[in-house]
Amino acid sequence: MKADFENILKLLDNKIARRPSAYDLFSKEMISTFLRAFDEEAKVVWVSYYAFPMELLWAFDVVPFDFEIACNTLPTASGGNGSSIMMSAEKEGYSRDICSFYRLVLGAHIEGILPRGDLFLTSSYYCNGKAKTNEIIARSHGKESILLDVPNEISASSIRYVVTQLREIAARLENLTGETLDLDKFRQIIRHSNKARSSYQKVNALMKEKPCPWDGSRAGPLGISGSLFWGSPIREEINQMLIREMEGRISGGKTYPETYRILWFPWVPVQPTNIFKTLRESHANVVMAESARVWWDELDEGDPFEALALKALQNYLVGTAENRVRDIVGLAEDYEVNGAIHFSTPACIHENGSLSLVSDALKEKGIPLLDLEGDMTDERNYSPEQTMHKVTTFLEVLS
Amino acid sequence: MASNNDGSQGEKIGWICDYVPEELIMAAGMEPVRLEGQMENVKEADSYLFSNVCPYVKHILEAGLNRETEDLAGIIFTNSCDGMRRLHDLWNHYVGSPFMHMLEIPKHRDEKGLHYFREQLEHLKRELERFTGKEISSQGLKGAVSLLNDRRGRLMDLFERQKQEEPPYRGSELLDLCLEETTRPKEETARIIQEMGGRPSNALSTNPRPRPVRILVTGNVLDKPNLFRIIESAGAEVVAFDTCLGLRHYTDPVETEADPISSLARRYLLRPPCNRMPGLNEKIERMRQLSRDYTVDGVIQSRVKFCDYALLESPVLENFAKNRDLPFLSLENDYLWADEARMKTRVEAFLEMIRESD
Ligand code: SF4
Ligand code: SF4
Repeated sequence: MKADFENILKLLDNKIARRPSAYDLFSKEMISTFLRAFDEEAKVVWVSYYAFPMELLWAFDVVPFDFEIACNTLPTASGGNGSSIMMSAEKEGYSRDICSFYRLVLGAHIEGILPRGDLFLTSSYYCNGKAKTNEIIARSHGKESILLDVPNEISASSIRYVVTQLREIAARLENLTGETLDLDKFRQIIRHSNKARSSYQKVNALMKEKPCPWDGSRAGPLGISGSLFWGSPIREEINQMLIREMEGRISGGKTYPETYRILWFPWVPVQPTNIFKTLRESHANVVMAESARVWWDELDEGDPFEALALKALQNYLVGTAENRVRDIVGLAEDYEVNGAIHFSTPACIHENGSLSLVSDALKEKGIPLLDLEGDMTDERNYSPEQTMHKVTTFLEVLS
Repeated sequence: MASNNDGSQGEKIGWICDYVPEELIMAAGMEPVRLEGQMENVKEADSYLFSNVCPYVKHILEAGLNRETEDLAGIIFTNSCDGMRRLHDLWNHYVGSPFMHMLEIPKHRDEKGLHYFREQLEHLKRELERFTGKEISSQGLKGAVSLLNDRRGRLMDLFERQKQEEPPYRGSELLDLCLEETTRPKEETARIIQEMGGRPSNALSTNPRPRPVRILVTGNVLDKPNLFRIIESAGAEVVAFDTCLGLRHYTDPVETEADPISSLARRYLLRPPCNRMPGLNEKIERMRQLSRDYTVDGVIQSRVKFCDYALLESPVLENFAKNRDLPFLSLENDYLWADEARMKTRVEAFLEMIRESD
């Protein structure tokens, strides 16, 4: 795994040297973080970047390692061959009905290629599998898995419940690092996060331009994996660079031709796919992804723990499907999309379980939805031919 | 139908997950009914949910979409798992019930979890009061607690007798009893429980035979007797089952001294954890302890398909059993146990393996 990351990093360095781009900068910073997790000296905290208020971790001298995102970089690195690692888990009895994300992680764990964890943090959202997988791996290292349990409702009571947990986690981090949580530093981190939140809103506002000046299929992964940097000044750097790129494209007339505007949902396939190339060739631009939305309120630096609890509770995939549907319809209207494309990964029940509601609500607005049943990571469950056939048929519907 | 304090008949409130305190429903003058679904076919629900969703969730949705649950005044959903969360949302939109409530169940079984769960139960109580227009009195709640504690005690006595060398009950009988107890009015099942309690210890041993293989069944939702019948017809006995409706459901009474809502929170949250809870070590320890207490020869894990929690925990439990020379068989089912022939072959082979190793 380490060697894979080193190779990816080299490639990214070369790319950036030739032509710097915000997305490559983000990828480089993330891969460097993964690599730091292999340092003997580092205090490595396993955590889910997109399902944890990362600002709390930036307040400590630790290396956050996301087992899902890190492992899912591997199929990309190995040309889409994630299943070879999954098979190690399948041989140990982990069924193919388990989300391929977790089979990949468990396979990587069994193969012994993951960095060591000093603290195993996990969260109850988005899905059932994450916390359970984290617990299995932590247990096999003789460690405890520490869960951030985020209820499905927002009330004074649930906020208090999450705040208590975040405070306990802070205490664990103090123990691990020997540092005491520096409140001034913590507030500074909250300010970094808020600043980047507001520049991210600008990024999203620019995506409304016609033609769209950026690639929404990248906005999704940045929305998910880029959560690593909430609270770090790097996130602001990435956003500013992105804004400059987009403004440059608009003023230079260098945007992609646009006949159709497409809304995307959270998941994009990790294995090589020509979905996006085909869309581009048909002048169908992905102009927004659900995961790129700014779904949380500005954080109150006066009460960082409560602010972060609220951020976790407000996550777009926590709460009822009704809220999610309302926000998706809002996005479709704001970005004036002609169609929506959903990529399903079969075991993602919490996400695809609301698809009929989403589809009905979009239909009412006259927006067709295409569901591409596939698998984000397991290429054995993904047929490029069938997918392409569905995409081309959908484009015919749009026209 | 349950009787209200004023003698009128209570309406039915459906519950799905074992973490819903029936006491609150009863104290509100309503009749708690566990929802099973058990539809012959799942057709409608397939248009709303992907193929790989837990069939228990699907059957319940199918029942709702087919208007088979019209006799219910309401349903209490729980945030037990991803499937249940979406069941609530789909029900809300496509089925609807006069009363609908989503009960959050914290995953922390400590003071903070208890505090949050108590507040969740207070909230549920207020919602039930709002729906019925009647206050749930502390007296009424204590009455329901005492009735269900008595129930638990009697059922646990039956399970306790199963530890004997000659278990007095067939596992399938006990399962039937648990199913009836949770789906029929409480007063209707009181007599059956009493009768079973009075059965002599040697009731099953009229035909002398070698000691039957003793099996512990663990797992999640198990509403059909098929597995037990397969085991029994192969000459073995299910001496205990630790499933959503088995030992886990009846163990541990509610404390009666403290404030009833806090006591309910403690009982429901702190009882032995099911798949959806963290705590692998505790679950392993429970399996080990039950295997000893019931002197079992093997464990069969019954799990409905597509339950992520069970799918992920299963290899860990199996591995533990393997290292302890405890025969273990994990059987996945579609909730209706439609694939009985294949199950039969696997169970018989498992029992044979146990007999040979004796
Ligand atoms: S795809 Fe869904 S089920 Fe799989 S890891 Fe992500 S959130 Fe969980
Ligand atoms: S069996 Fe598993 S997936 Fe099905 S309802 Fe229970 S916890 Fe959810």
